Amino acid sequence: MRGQSFLGGAALGFLAVGAYVGLVASPPDAFQGEYVRIMYVHVPNAWVAYVAFAITCIASALYLAKRTPVYDYVAHSATELGVVFTGLALVTGSIWGRPVWGTWWTWDARLVTTAVLFFIYLGALLVRGLADDPQRGARLAAVVSIIGFLDVPVIHYSVVWFRTLHQPASLTPGDTKMALPMLAALLLGLLAFTALFAYLLTLRIRLARAEDTGEAA
Amino acid sequence: MRALDRVAAVTSKDLLLEWRGRQTATAMGMVALLIILFLGFVLGSEPARAPAVLWVAMGFAAVLGIPRLTQAEVEQQALETLLLYPGSREHIYWGKFLALVIMLTALLVLLCALVGVLFNIPIWTHLPALIAVGLFGVIGLAAIGTLLAGVVLHVRARELLMPILLLPLALPVVLGCLRLTEAALAGRGEGVWLVVIGVFDLTALLVCPILFEVVMEES
Repeated sequence: MRGQSFLGGAALGFLAVGAYVGLVASPPDAFQGEYVRIMYVHVPNAWVAYVAFAITCIASALYLAKRTPVYDYVAHSATELGVVFTGLALVTGSIWGRPVWGTWWTWDARLVTTAVLFFIYLGALLVRGLADDPQRGARLAAVVSIIGFLDVPVIHYSVVWFRTLHQPASLTPGDTKMALPMLAALLLGLLAFTALFAYLLTLRIRLARAEDTGEAA
Repeated sequence: MRALDRVAAVTSKDLLLEWRGRQTATAMGMVALLIILFLGFVLGSEPARAPAVLWVAMGFAAVLGIPRLTQAEVEQQALETLLLYPGSREHIYWGKFLALVIMLTALLVLLCALVGVLFNIPIWTHLPALIAVGLFGVIGLAAIGTLLAGVVLHVRARELLMPILLLPLALPVVLGCLRLTEAALAGRGEGVWLVVIGVFDLTALLVCPILFEVVMEES
């Protein structure tokens, strides 16, 4: 409980500092102008979404191997949050794309992959909700999550080679061409959203556990 | 009973059931046919569009047909009996997989002929390459489809769930086969896409049978 409140406080603090640095302290971009600030939210959202799906995959595999309910709580919670953050990443990306690329949506590889991911995990949630009993739902959702995650690289490359135009990844190790305040804003954003995600995850896991024990009682 | 016999028994059971009713095959064929007619009419029937139309139709026909693969088990309450037979559940997967491969292949042959006529494509001259591409695609669709047919077995609104499960997961198959079909019709090789489909088929064939056993567990 104590740790959870601390995590929540940290997330709030990072978000506040990140908002200040991102909106006030960092300069506008030479090409993108003020719109670059959307990146400080968009990139962390996408990052958190991918982290969430990685956690889902690992927790699902552990659940299928060990059948301990706690892994299922983690998988369920991470799937839900992953879907939310993927949705946010798609929306913020679209808002950014309108002024910078001149279009709300393009058939670019990373956009399509992210949209496809969104549907795969939405499918996993639906399977869980529509299954005839909760335990079977947990198992089926784990199966869909695992096969979905294994499918991601193939989906990504197939979409890349189909057609592409996205700018290269924003941060590649050893090669950062960003001004220091902008880099700080981006890193703060990543930190803040990761902390926020961790906080929400612990909260959601607690809820899942409470629901499960409540149903059993 | 040896493993191969068990697989063959499941396959022949599913195919026999389908042959007696022929509902799924008819429905899949009709839907695919309608999609080809619609897309051909709406987009125009230039030969260059044919591969895309063909594989989109295949994808949607698969969405329709795959939940039917476990329909008999649901309607006749035959699942327990099927699971009670001795031996590994993987054999059930392979049996149903083979049945689905055969049905999808039959459908693909029909659609190829139809697209060849409607879009004015000389299929005969490119037949060997087209057969290879088709086999790759059908195996990919069937491998993931058999697993999903098991997943929707115990889910309400099973038919409604299939598109959202199958279409995103099978996207690489549709994209890859589309490009490979284009390449085959143009008479060139397309190594990258062979790798994509190859990797997809291999991963699916390795992972899906294992996950199928999890799916088939009784509650």
